Parts: sequence; C-alpha cells; structure tokens
Amino acid sequence: MTPENGASAPPDAPVEPPRARRFVATRVEIEGREETRIVELPDRVPAPWGADADLHVVGARVPRMDGLEKVTGAARFTADLHRPGMTFAVVVRSPVPAGRLARIDAAAALALPGLRALLTLDDVRGIRSDAGQLLDDTIRYAGQPLCVVCADTLGAAHAAAARVRLSIEPAPHAVTAEQALAEGAPKLRSRGNVSPRSPRIIQRGDVDAGLRAADVVITREYRTPVALHTALEPHGAVAEWEGGRLTVWESTQGIFATRRDLAAAFGLKLSNVRVMKDYMGGGFGAKNGASASAYIAAALSRKTGRPVRCVFDRYGEQTDAGNRAATVQRVTLGARHDGTLTAIRMDATIPLGVSGWEAGPGRIYHELHACENVRTSETFVYTNAGAMASFRAPGHTEGAFGLESALNALARELKLDPLELRRRNYAAADQARSRPYSAKHLDQCYARGAERFGWATRDVRRAHDGAPRLRRGFGMAACTWGAGGGPPAYATVRINRDGTVEVLTGAQDLGTGSRTVMAQIAAETLGARIDDVRTVLGDTERLPFASNSWGSITTASVGPAVRVAAEEARDRLFEAAAAMLDAGVTELTARDGVIAVRATGRSMTFAEVCGKLGDVMIIGQGSRGPNPDGTALSAFGAQFAEVEVDTETGRVRVLRIVAAHDSGRIINPTLAESQLEGAVLQGMGYALFEERVMDTALGLPMNPTMHDYKIPTMADVPLIEGFFIDAPDVAANHTGAKGLAEPPIIPVAPAIAAAVADAIGAECPEIPLTPWRVLDAIRGAARD
Amino acid sequence: MRLTINGNAYEVAVSGPETLLGVLRGRLAMTGTKLVCGRGECGACTVLLDGKPAYACLTLAAACEGVAITTIEGMGRPGHLHALQDAFIAHDALQCGFCTPGQIMAAAALLAGNPRPTEAEVRRGMSGNLCRCGAYPRIVKAVLDAAARLEAAHDA
Repeated sequence: MTPENGASAPPDAPVEPPRARRFVATRVEIEGREETRIVELPDRVPAPWGADADLHVVGARVPRMDGLEKVTGAARFTADLHRPGMTFAVVVRSPVPAGRLARIDAAAALALPGLRALLTLDDVRGIRSDAGQLLDDTIRYAGQPLCVVCADTLGAAHAAAARVRLSIEPAPHAVTAEQALAEGAPKLRSRGNVSPRSPRIIQRGDVDAGLRAADVVITREYRTPVALHTALEPHGAVAEWEGGRLTVWESTQGIFATRRDLAAAFGLKLSNVRVMKDYMGGGFGAKNGASASAYIAAALSRKTGRPVRCVFDRYGEQTDAGNRAATVQRVTLGARHDGTLTAIRMDATIPLGVSGWEAGPGRIYHELHACENVRTSETFVYTNAGAMASFRAPGHTEGAFGLESALNALARELKLDPLELRRRNYAAADQARSRPYSAKHLDQCYARGAERFGWATRDVRRAHDGAPRLRRGFGMAACTWGAGGGPPAYATVRINRDGTVEVLTGAQDLGTGSRTVMAQIAAETLGARIDDVRTVLGDTERLPFASNSWGSITTASVGPAVRVAAEEARDRLFEAAAAMLDAGVTELTARDGVIAVRATGRSMTFAEVCGKLGDVMIIGQGSRGPNPDGTALSAFGAQFAEVEVDTETGRVRVLRIVAAHDSGRIINPTLAESQLEGAVLQGMGYALFEERVMDTALGLPMNPTMHDYKIPTMADVPLIEGFFIDAPDVAANHTGAKGLAEPPIIPVAPAIAAAVADAIGAECPEIPLTPWRVLDAIRGAARD
Repeated sequence: MRLTINGNAYEVAVSGPETLLGVLRGRLAMTGTKLVCGRGECGACTVLLDGKPAYACLTLAAACEGVAITTIEGMGRPGHLHALQDAFIAHDALQCGFCTPGQIMAAAALLAGNPRPTEAEVRRGMSGNLCRCGAYPRIVKAVLDAAARLEAAHDA
C-alpha cells in the first residue's frame, strides 16, 4: 500500500482521499516468454461470460466476413497495391554463405531503360533487420541482401538485378551446429558461435536423485529439421514519403511494431510514420515488426522520391525470411514401474542461423507432465544460414517432438498404454512457475479424443490390415501453450446514424478470422445484427493500439477490449432509446438490432433510434484489463494419429488425426476448426516432408523452392476430426476465450511418429519421416 | 496486341518475354491472380485459356492473342457469384485467401472436364494448388458441393 491512505500522515496535514492506482503491473505470456507489462485499469469490468451465459452471436458459426472479397479476387494484399508513379525493387542476394563483398559493378544494370536507383550499404548504414545490418558487406549467409535495384516495372528491375556484378571474397562457412562448434570453425561473432546466454539451464528438484529413484531409465536422441514458413504471400512492403512523413503498407503481423521499427530506423517521430495492412497472405510468425523489405522500400522511396514496392521473390522468402530452428534433443526419462515420472532431463543444441531469439525446445519439458525433478539445458549456436524467426508455437513444437516421443518410448518400455502413462503424470498446476492454472481440461481432451478416435479398440482395427506390406499404427501426444493474451489492447465501437456499427482496433487479421471474431463480440454485447457490424483493422494512424498478432493472443487480448467498448456504446444507445421509449435504461434489452422494453415489448430498431439522433455519434472506448495475478493461462490439447506404412517403400500415409483441444470459449467454431485443421496439416508437413536441406560443403540451401521444399498438398490430407472442449475460462478474461492458433501444431509430429513406430515396431527419432528414414528404422529393427 | 480477358478486349503493348501474369497484374491492374513462386510450382496464378487451366506465370502474354482468357475477376461478382465462390464461402474453404483465386480457377477447370468428380478425383486434380493455411479439407468439400449444385442447376 502507498501512504496515501493517510494513516502515516501527520495530524495537521490535509488528508488526501484514498486514490486507486490506475496503472498497475501485470504478467503476459507470449510464445513462452513471460513479461511484466503496465496496464491501465479499465473503468468498467464486464461480468464474465460464463458457461451459462445466454449468448447468441458469440459461439455461432458466422461466415468469415471477408470471404466475399477473397473469393472474387477483390481483396487487395500488399503485393497487389499500386501507387501513382510507383517503382519496383528487386533484391540482389549473396550466392555464397560467407565472405566479403568487395565491389558492386552496377554499370550495366544502371544503363538499362527504366532503372531508377541502386541501393547499397552506404544508403542504409545503421539500419538493422532481423538478420543484422541491412545490405552488409560482410556476408554471413547465402541469400543475404547485398544491394537492391529499383525500376519502373518489375520486369525491368529483374533484368537489372541480373546484370549486377558482385565481386566477393569468399570465406569459410559453418552452416550446421556441428560445423559451427568444431575446432577452428569460422567465427560468426567476435565472441564465438555459441550465444552468450548459452547454455540456458532451467531446473527444479534434483534430476540425479530422480534418476536414482527410477525403476526404469530411458535415453534417446531426437532430431528436428529447419522448417520454412512458406507463407504464400512473401514478405513485402510499399513505401511512400510525403515531405517528412512516411507511409508504409506492409504484410505484417504487427503494424505498431513496424511503425516503431521504421521510426527508429529513419529517425522519425511515431506520429510521422503510418503503417497499414489490410489483407495478408499468411504470416505464421515470420512477419513480426518491420521486415527487410519495409526498410528497403522506405530507403528507396526516400532516395527516388517515388513510391516503391519491394516484395521478396520466392528464393528470398525461402532463404531470408525466417525459419523454425533445427534441434538435437538428448532426453533421459526416469520412471517407476507404475509409470510415475521421477526425472526428466534434456540437453539440446539449436542452430539459430545468423541470429534469432532463443525460443528453444526446453520449456515444454517443464510444463506438460507432472515431475518433481526436471532439468533442461539449451545451447544456441550461430551458423551461416538465414535467421530463425518465430514459427507457429516456436520451441514447443520442436520440444514436443522430443518430450512426447520419449514419453511414448517410455510407455513401450513399461508396456503401458501411452494415454494411461500421461494420465498417471497429470500436472494439476503450472509446475514451472508454481501456480495454479486458470482452467485446465486436458483430461477431457484425453477422454473425448480417445473416445472419438476409438483408442481403446485400436488393436482390433490393426487386425484388419490389407496387403501384408502395409502396416497400420496408432499414436498419440499432448500439448500445452500459454495462450491467455493480455494488455495492452484498445478498441473503439462507433454506431452510425443508420444503426450500423464499426469496430475499430489496430489488430491484424492474418487469415485467422480476427475480423469476424471481433464483430461477433461487438454484436453480442450491443445486441446488434452481425450483418450490421464491420471490423476495421490495420492502420496505425486511425486506430487504437493492439499488439502483434502472434502467440495466439489476439482473441484473448483484443476481444475483451472490444467487449468493453461495445458495452459503453450500448449504454449510451440505451440512454438515448430509454427517452424515446419512455422507459428506464435498466428496463431495456437488445437483440438482432432491436431495442425493446422488457415489460411492455415496445421496441425500436437501432436504425430508428440512431436516425432520430441524427449525426450524434455513439462511441464506446474499451481496453484490455490486467491478467489475474499468480495464475497460468494456458491452452491444452491431445491428438491421436492413425497411419499406414508401406514397409517396402517406407512411405507413410496419415489416415486420420483426431485433435481434441481446450482453448476456453470458442467464439466461432467454424473459424476455430479451420485453424485447427490448418495447424494439424502444417504439423503433418513438419512430421513427414518439410526440411531445409543444406549442402554442407558449399553452404548453400538445396531446396529453396516450393517444388523442392515440400509442404502438404490436397492429395496428402488425412481425415481430420478436430474439436474443442469449449469450456469458457472466465478466470482468464471476461470473454472466457483463450488462443487456439498455435497449440494444435504442437502434438502432431510426435503423434504421427508414435503411430509409425507402432506400425513398424521401431522408433523413428528424426523428422521428417521421409521414406529412407522409415526404411532405415525398419532395417535397424530387423538387425536388432 | 489484343487480349480477350473475361469477354472484354484489351489493347496492350507487350514486350517479348512478358508473362501473362505480368500483364494481368502489372499492366491491367487485375491483381486477383497471384504471384507466389513464379515457376509453376504452386498454382496460385491459375487462369483459364479457352477453358483449360494454365499457369499465368509460365504463359507468354504474346502467345495469348485470340485466346479466351478467364481470370478470377471474370468468375462472378457480388450478388452473382459462381457456384464455386458461394461454396468456398459456405464451407470456409479459405483462411488468408491468397491461394483462393488459383484454387477456384483450378476447380472450375476440373469441373469443366469432369462435372461430377469423386473426392479422390478432386484431391488428385487439385493437388498442384498449394495452400499453406491448410484449408484443403474444406476446399474438397466446397468443390464437391459446387459440382452438385451446378449439376442440379443444369438439370433444372
């Protein structure tokens, strides 16, 4: 308490009235990182929408609100924007993984008609993208931007780029962790190739004692690949200067982060930078903050005095736009005969590329299953490859492959049902931070998922195999993910004179459905017709702040702010209507755009009330309040996989995935299921196909195309049965919703790998499960 | 040269190596057709040439004289959507929407040659159109549903 309560004030001093603190600290978890943030306490805190709340629009299968624009080709993405006088930038990239750029000979390029400018290091010194100094002359990875040409047409810019001659002095490279950690390896940083924070050791209890107390100890080594986001719309931006003001349209997950980055890079006030984003062709974590393309477009626009569009080509996107870091995880588990875990130990090596944040596979080992003795050690290594970036549940997806695969191996060792093993090690509280969960229904995910899948009768199904070379197998895995969201987030709700409603918030819709979900929350709160509500997103100049759309936080962060704003607007609307209907405000109710007096049934539509008000605009403001203290806000899930393995070719066909998830209240089941299915398919790609392959001798990526880097196609799709427990978590926030975009990718790969192991009778410790890895596992088992 | 796109004639000056995709997007501001890979690997730029599917990124514009070109802009408009467009919305067969125009054009080509495809035929026939959001299961349903609706309309 502060002394402001007067208790400690001298008797003669004027006594100040008690003052509530308006700005307080709260904890917010984003992608496994928890941080303290300041939050302004909202003036109003609505009553939570509990399980018995009488809701009509929230929870309904409202069609995606921008579907029409998307199916007609009318939706304008960043790459589609055209400004008067616009020119086109093409990036010239390094063909080698390491060295020094001695000279750029652009004479032939500059002589081409339509060429406007060449951008080099001298133009952008001091501007740093995720990979370091932009257009640096020290080359640290193949695909690094070295210079940029800009021309009146995209074709002319490509022709010019092809004519730029680079003089490069190559240097030795290290593209794998093994190479980077070898003696005499070329140094990527002056302090060496191991990150200064490595090894990151997190522990609780005493792992050695836990292993001594174990009846069974297993040790395994798991490997996961570098995976590429491969969003269909590449990174890209359009930039335009007007005097000292910069306007940028960017394909970004965070318009305010992009504004902050650009203002810092170009020495501008925040109010002199406007960032916009309407439609976006996928992000998956790689588009947080200003990208190299935004810096390049802005720098070239400043140089040429014209609007500039810079969109990465596919080679740039696959080499220089982020990736999920590879891992090697050495796992030791100790357990009693009854399956009780006594120790979990994991040591990992994670090559990050030239830079990236340290997501790491370790954290999920501390969270998912009950165990008193856990120790993880993660060593992050710099290599001559593109920088790591967040990729859908970064860290946990990699870690789950190790942890859940090890748990499945332990189940085989103990001759225990892997589902039963997990039930016996159920974590009732957040052990990593010694606090309760706001809500946890993983037990229901286990029960309902297993029931839908027919887990108990899987051996009966196995008996119905077809050809003898085809073997069927079954596997499962679980997941957890911090998905509670948090402040700050703001929204404005306006009601027009015709009764239509606009929800304004500076969030983004990556294809997730945020537009629709925010409109549903507003419509529910107001009692408006959903067709009368429109959500406006993605403009830093016109909209209140919302944070990056990452970490599965948008619905749980922005949704409550929208609800508060809509409630404030509704109260004003009711005040106006009460006078017109000759009733008290508390006697009114609204639904489907009609305001009625409960007792008499007398009513007016929104349009009638607002029409009488004329141009009096009803405006509500809302903000996101703090998270509950000392509470973990998490999402959970369990997935069950059925596969068929061709033991002659090693080919794996995933037949069926049942995915049962707990993400609190589901605002729109259709959109939630769409995202769930998409995450399962990305997880299936990670399990079976996706792997950036490097030529370690040359240091070059071997598959930087969409043909050679295989993502799932329509022909690969299994039967996916995804569903949510749909239990509102009103301790987390007053809408009861938590995040759901990322959790469903986490358990896919270990569930599939367990099913393959079940089919062939041999473990598969490395993904992707390509035919040759599966055949190796089969042959290895035959040798044993 | 003269290009016939969605039933309208356009006079455009085209340089030798220019692709149909470049002309559509760059010269005619028809940006519904997307550039994703630029090498015929993803299907996002699928258009119809005399009713047959083609990758606009690999098609020379100069070779399109006298060819009826159909793009997503010619498929339907608000209030008069093509059955495929209606079905894509109804089944939520899209998320970010970037691959959607190519998916719809590929589906239109598939149905033109095979009005009542089986589920397996849809999966095989459209496996060249990539979607990273993973809307595939819903795209399959949307295409089958649209096929049924189109046939019902045809029979009526």
